[in-house]
Amino acid sequence: MFFHITLERNMQLHPRHFGPHLRDKLVAKLMKDVEGTCSGRHGFVVAITGVEDIGKGLIREGTGFVTFPVKYQAVVFRPFKGEILEAVVTMVNKMGFFAEAGPVQIFVSNHLIPDDMEFQSGDMPNYTTSDGSVKIQKDSEVRLKIIGTRVDATEIFCIGTIKDDFLGVINDPGFIELFI
Amino acid sequence: MLTGKQNVFDFRMHGLSSDLRGELTRSYGPDQAQRVAEPDSICTGVGARVDSKTSYEKTTFLSPDARRALASSRSSLPLLHHSSVSDRTIQCSRMSLAAESPLQSSSSSEDFAALLDAELELASSDTSPNEEEAENDDENDLQEPRTKRRKVEDFESLEDIETPMMVETNQEHIGTSGVVKNDICPPHPGFFKGLCMRCGQLEEDDGSGVAFGYIHKDLKLGTREIERLRGADHKKLLHEKKLVLILDLDHTLLNSTRLADISSEEEYLLRQVESMKDDPDRSLFKLDSMHMLTKLRPFVHNFLKEASSIFEMYVYTMAERSYAMEIVKLLDPGKVYFDSKVITQADCTQRHQKGLDVVLGAESIVVILDDTEAVWHRHKENLIQMERYHFFASSCRQFGFGAKSLSELMKDERESDGALATILNVLKQAHQMFFDPVLGPDSSSRDVRQVLKGIRHEILQGCKIVFSRVFPSKSPAQDQPIWKMAERLGATCCTEVDPSVTHVVSMDTGTQKSRWALQNEKFLVSPYWIEATNFLWQRQKEDDFPISNLRSRNA
Repeated sequence: MFFHITLERNMQLHPRHFGPHLRDKLVAKLMKDVEGTCSGRHGFVVAITGVEDIGKGLIREGTGFVTFPVKYQAVVFRPFKGEILEAVVTMVNKMGFFAEAGPVQIFVSNHLIPDDMEFQSGDMPNYTTSDGSVKIQKDSEVRLKIIGTRVDATEIFCIGTIKDDFLGVINDPGFIELFI
Repeated sequence: MLTGKQNVFDFRMHGLSSDLRGELTRSYGPDQAQRVAEPDSICTGVGARVDSKTSYEKTTFLSPDARRALASSRSSLPLLHHSSVSDRTIQCSRMSLAAESPLQSSSSSEDFAALLDAELELASSDTSPNEEEAENDDENDLQEPRTKRRKVEDFESLEDIETPMMVETNQEHIGTSGVVKNDICPPHPGFFKGLCMRCGQLEEDDGSGVAFGYIHKDLKLGTREIERLRGADHKKLLHEKKLVLILDLDHTLLNSTRLADISSEEEYLLRQVESMKDDPDRSLFKLDSMHMLTKLRPFVHNFLKEASSIFEMYVYTMAERSYAMEIVKLLDPGKVYFDSKVITQADCTQRHQKGLDVVLGAESIVVILDDTEAVWHRHKENLIQMERYHFFASSCRQFGFGAKSLSELMKDERESDGALATILNVLKQAHQMFFDPVLGPDSSSRDVRQVLKGIRHEILQGCKIVFSRVFPSKSPAQDQPIWKMAERLGATCCTEVDPSVTHVVSMDTGTQKSRWALQNEKFLVSPYWIEATNFLWQRQKEDDFPISNLRSRNA
């Protein structure tokens, strides 16, 4: 789920950056350091929306670096166990399929795919129901539920399921017709 | 106060749109939502309660204090294990997002709540939005009594291992029908990046699984799951009338050499490979990234095409992954034959040994094509040994042959009856015999090893062989590899001559047995006759292997 939260970070700045554009440099460095990283607590930092406050800089002993406590607002993405997400399928194999929801990669194993869906190999491997009405292949959209997450320094990985009610393929052509 | 009947407040919540869920939360408020949570069931995001009987625990927007309270009240319950994952990720300090949750509202919509309650068949709607102000302490107290008030069976089942509960909840609340594949999770089927594929739990390091790095680099499967997959694969392949073929790369399908090892007589190849760059039928390739030159064995493309119609193919090589992937790109540009079935040295569970444990195919239908027998120690019966393809001089040197290599002689194996063509015929024959309609429709108990044995046994049927000066007479004759090879080919071997002997195999025409053979008009052949028969799967003409040849070979 996406959140818009205020985070704080101590940024260290080299004295060469001091000058009229100190603040800009600081913000640029912040963006470079933080955007795209991941933490266990907040999840994946998608983008920094604004800098709320930059505190007084403290010169470190021994080096000339100055530490600024920066408060900024960022959009973060964090998947939770039990959360329902829509994701796009990126790879299908006989163990299950991989889907991506934003920066998060989710694996749905074939244990958690409804039993009536069988794996068909071929140049476009997919999971299909016995009557062929529902197909999960690369670039299909699915709604899935997260049942386990694991956070690394650089990425979040989840295990998901589509075996519950209301989960599964979204953009089935038959499905779209209903809403037209 | 919501009662235990709220267990019905379940997955159906998920079917509700986020608007509706938002409504609910607004009516119940986040604090209320926390209280509504029973120790064994947690709210999903917005106040919706998921039943204790759900198989997967859900974390929530509970404040960390609430979560701790829940966790402590459930100290005996396995939930802790699940929440430990989230605890690791959600640290103890209050998450700012909980504080900023837009869900805090005091507007109540009692009618809405009542409607929902009625719909979800709740006995009574005890909660009232007015109670949202309850403090965390109250929360704790409230949870205790609720715990006690819960149905006894729930409580007991929770106290036990979580898993039996998971099974019944699965069958009760999950919409899918039918028998599931043994949904209980302590035999975790496999792990993906350390998370169980079925229940999402973190992997405990007991090292019992087999890593299947060639399918996906983070995949690890448990033994039971491997068996299950093998069984499913077996059935599917038998249904499609296919067997499994495992191919070695080096010296079997191709021959490679480092650019540095090219001899002077092979330099013309470098020019040739440049000029052939656009030829679609070429078999000589330069791998720039690895500084190697590769020559595919003649007939290899046809072989792969024809074999793929009757076999599911794997590549199993002792080379490194990078090299293997380059080669597979040459052999299979369309990714049709070997899509994620390239097993390399890194996937082997035993050093210097290839094993079928990393292959998801049943052993009884696997045929292996390899030039080396030594690496397939455990699966000799499935192996068809191929004649080595020595195209480059460096390859000959490596194996100690003094003769000139095919490249230096500017020759090559014939396509029409080279090694691959011969083996293809053998494979087709084995396939035909395996799926022989005469044997009936049920092929699940047949074993391709038996079929291969049968075919081999026919080759030298009726031959009786005596060996002379082929191996030292002091060592036990029956253990000699050439003896065993001859016996596998269906011949009978003995140590002494007698009138029923048909062949004398010798390295020297001057021995007693050799002279006896010449006197009695028996076949006198060199040991290469047996080897050639073994590689070509056909009884060779004895005249092609006279012993006098040996002298010139050794010279």
